[in-house]
Amino acid sequence: MKQRVALFVTCLVDLMRPRIGFAAIQALEAAGREVVVPEGQTCCGQPALNTGDRGHAEALAKQTIAALEPYEAVVLPSGSCAGTICCHYPELFEHDPEWLPRAQAVAGRTFEIMAYLDEVCGWRPDSVSLSASATYHDNCSGLRELGIKAQPRRLLKAIDGLSLTQLPGEETCCGFGGTFCVKYPAISNAIVGEKAEAIEATGADLLLAGDLGCLMNMAGKLHRAGSKVRAYHAIELIAGMGDGPAIGEEA
Amino acid sequence: MSTFTDRADAALADPLLKIAVERTAGTAEAKRAAAIAAFPDFEAARARAAAIKDHVIAHLGAYLEEFEANAVAAGACVHWASTADEACRIVVEICKTAGARTVARSKSMLGEEIGLPHALAEAGIRRIETDLAEHIIQLADERPSHIIWPAMHKTREEVSALFKARHRSPHEEETIAAMAESARRELRMQMLGADVGISGANFLVADTGAVCTVTNEGNAELSLVPPRVHIVTAGIEKIVPSMEHAVHMLRMLARSATGAALTQYTTFYAGPKRPGDRDGPEEMHIVLVDNGRTKMREEGLADMLRCIRCGACMNHCVVFRQIGGHAYGGTYPGPMGSVLTPALDGLKQSRDLPNACTLNGKCQEVCPVRIPLPTLLRGWRERSWREGLEPASTRAGLGLWAWVACRPALYRVATGVAMRAMRLLSRGGWIARLPLAGGWTRYRDMPKPAPRSFMAQYRKERRG
Amino acid sequence: MSAREAMLARLRGAHPDKAEADALLVAPDRRAVDEGALETEFLARIALPSVSATHDIIERLDELPVAVGRYLEQQGEPLTLCLPPDPRLSACDWSGFTLRESAAPEETAALAIARKGIAETGSLIFETSPHAPMLPNFLALHHIVLLAAGDIAPWLEDALLPGPQPRAHYWVTGVSGTTDIEGTYVRGAHGPRFLHVILLR
Ligand code: SF4
Repeated sequence: MKQRVALFVTCLVDLMRPRIGFAAIQALEAAGREVVVPEGQTCCGQPALNTGDRGHAEALAKQTIAALEPYEAVVLPSGSCAGTICCHYPELFEHDPEWLPRAQAVAGRTFEIMAYLDEVCGWRPDSVSLSASATYHDNCSGLRELGIKAQPRRLLKAIDGLSLTQLPGEETCCGFGGTFCVKYPAISNAIVGEKAEAIEATGADLLLAGDLGCLMNMAGKLHRAGSKVRAYHAIELIAGMGDGPAIGEEA
Repeated sequence: MSTFTDRADAALADPLLKIAVERTAGTAEAKRAAAIAAFPDFEAARARAAAIKDHVIAHLGAYLEEFEANAVAAGACVHWASTADEACRIVVEICKTAGARTVARSKSMLGEEIGLPHALAEAGIRRIETDLAEHIIQLADERPSHIIWPAMHKTREEVSALFKARHRSPHEEETIAAMAESARRELRMQMLGADVGISGANFLVADTGAVCTVTNEGNAELSLVPPRVHIVTAGIEKIVPSMEHAVHMLRMLARSATGAALTQYTTFYAGPKRPGDRDGPEEMHIVLVDNGRTKMREEGLADMLRCIRCGACMNHCVVFRQIGGHAYGGTYPGPMGSVLTPALDGLKQSRDLPNACTLNGKCQEVCPVRIPLPTLLRGWRERSWREGLEPASTRAGLGLWAWVACRPALYRVATGVAMRAMRLLSRGGWIARLPLAGGWTRYRDMPKPAPRSFMAQYRKERRG
Repeated sequence: MSAREAMLARLRGAHPDKAEADALLVAPDRRAVDEGALETEFLARIALPSVSATHDIIERLDELPVAVGRYLEQQGEPLTLCLPPDPRLSACDWSGFTLRESAAPEETAALAIARKGIAETGSLIFETSPHAPMLPNFLALHHIVLLAAGDIAPWLEDALLPGPQPRAHYWVTGVSGTTDIEGTYVRGAHGPRFLHVILLR
């Protein structure tokens, strides 16, 4: 029997760029998984958590836990939302004897999509090709909360014709920071401005990352600056959907 | 009083500041990386450093008593101060009793924290800052902008102008070496003539009662050996159980701060001059300062008491690198400052600090004592929210969004409407101006949302 | 209630367990040092830019004045030396030198005997005593240090003294330097600009 995995698409992917969700399904199915999209999902609550609104953060965490706990594995196309579930849900319910075990159980079964494909499935894209050069930005939560670094690169290497150029400062925050970028726009802009320059300087055609928030920030800055670099979630390329419209391109 | 945002904007508008910060922090970052790569197992060493400090903080009372007993046995006087004012009063009192007219001060962030420069000035005592950066800051009448490099924000041109205006025989050649030489000339006789030497402590060693200072300039020793009286002001969290524990912490401190294996001068002082000694002070006083530390320990900030003031968190902080230290407005800048300032100065006037952070986690990654800075910053955000200090617009906006997100059916309808509205504002796939998210679109474009959400498309597909 | 009582009252807790504190000292994570080649390690270490010391080697203590003279001449300095009242040093023949007991504010050179040299970091270890003042080592432009090769030890832990401490115990790991202006390194900020080690084999 095929292993069933639940896909939590995340609110940003749901509203802004559904093709990342479909790419995730495609890759998971290619890796031999049956994908379910639980109905009750909306947002993992990270914005509330990071703004200090603990009440709503807990309510959204409970809603998400309840929606995801029936499944053997949960996969998200976002390092920061996966980090919220894996690292912060158990912290949120540290003193709640009822919800702590439930939070821990879900956290233990939750994976970022590329880590899941690489480490759990041992899968590689097969006969996917895209002739382009790309550079990869490590999103902070994925990198530091979940240790995602080699996995996306291993998957991307299996794409025929894709060459990866290292981004100087690839581990440096892009300045998104969730609500940070609207609360302190000038500081955020200074940070993403430097990031955009570093991306441009690689000469790569494509900017890849594993988190739509950071991608929208960088792509939005690149576009405002008149750059020709096109931005995708890495899973889109991995699923063989790298020939579609990039972020901000009309379908 | 200026707001954080005003100060940050001013900092961002200053191209010289950016260059100055980048030069020092960038060098520190590269050197630290090299030092850690050359260290066999830095992760294990960090874990051990954190464990040593946790052990101390858990038994702080007993260790302070042990330190006190041993320091007294070595001939030092130990004083206790609950507040910054009390600490300053004790120091000023000792200076007055000693008939001191001038004090030589070796850089100490605790001294800045308790407002010692101000207290000395009020008491009419002349203060000679002997650390080169602190000397620059004193001449410019400014505050430190970094805990390791207090004058990080100053370019060489600014320092040159300052020295030319204020030194008796300033440098002629426009090189940094010549400027340092000018300061050496200016400060040497002043240090040797001071009545009292004041320092902080990098570590207080419980089992010997010794006070450890580290400097690269040797200014601590030159400020503390000649005067008749040596006064140490130290935060109570500076305790380590033994000299061996101090050794481990010193290995971590230098590597994290500057990338060196050790600072050039590391000195352990135990009491005043002994019979027959040719030099050294006749009196040594140690002021153990609480100033909110016991409260931090009780109120969920015990992790922060591990801090050894290495500055790595700010050197690696994307926000600090853009705005420098002054914008933070407190004694301590950067990530550690954003945790400490609300505790020291009150959350109300510093609520911006824990918020002005992307929570990217780099600071925690480099911290030699593994302080979970992002978690502590989140803790302040939570408290700020609870206490109603967050702006009404944020509360209303986020509250509404979260309320809707807790109701999936309503959420699908509401977000559908919102996304359609957003799409109306787009041109060619992008939105250049977005009401309510002006912060975003002032500087970057926003991609146009999808015509239909993932959930809607998926449901339709599955229904076939 | 005094500040002391108030602070301690809030910090009450279990007495620290010495074994727990000691367990934290098990240190597999130090920089590797080849214990069979301590002298080589030490000399390599002090030659690094971070320490930037020069060195000379003598076979007998009575060669010390000649070695010091050689160094000062090379540096173009007069044969003036601040010499601590250590019987081991006063036993040497210092004819030709102008000796000083205490350091002048602009002292050219000071000599001191290090109790230990540490291979891990290239540190020189000193203590104060009636025979060993501290100030000259920080005032002089040239800090000249006599170190017996047999006193080189691998780790900083080996520098520590058990029991009651001397007034000051200090480690010198280079010359006085600063990076306070634009992060640029300058030698001789306040204290010695030169560090010269004379190794006695
Ligand atoms: S918080 Fe950590 S990194 Fe920052 S100064 Fe303190 S010890 Fe250093």
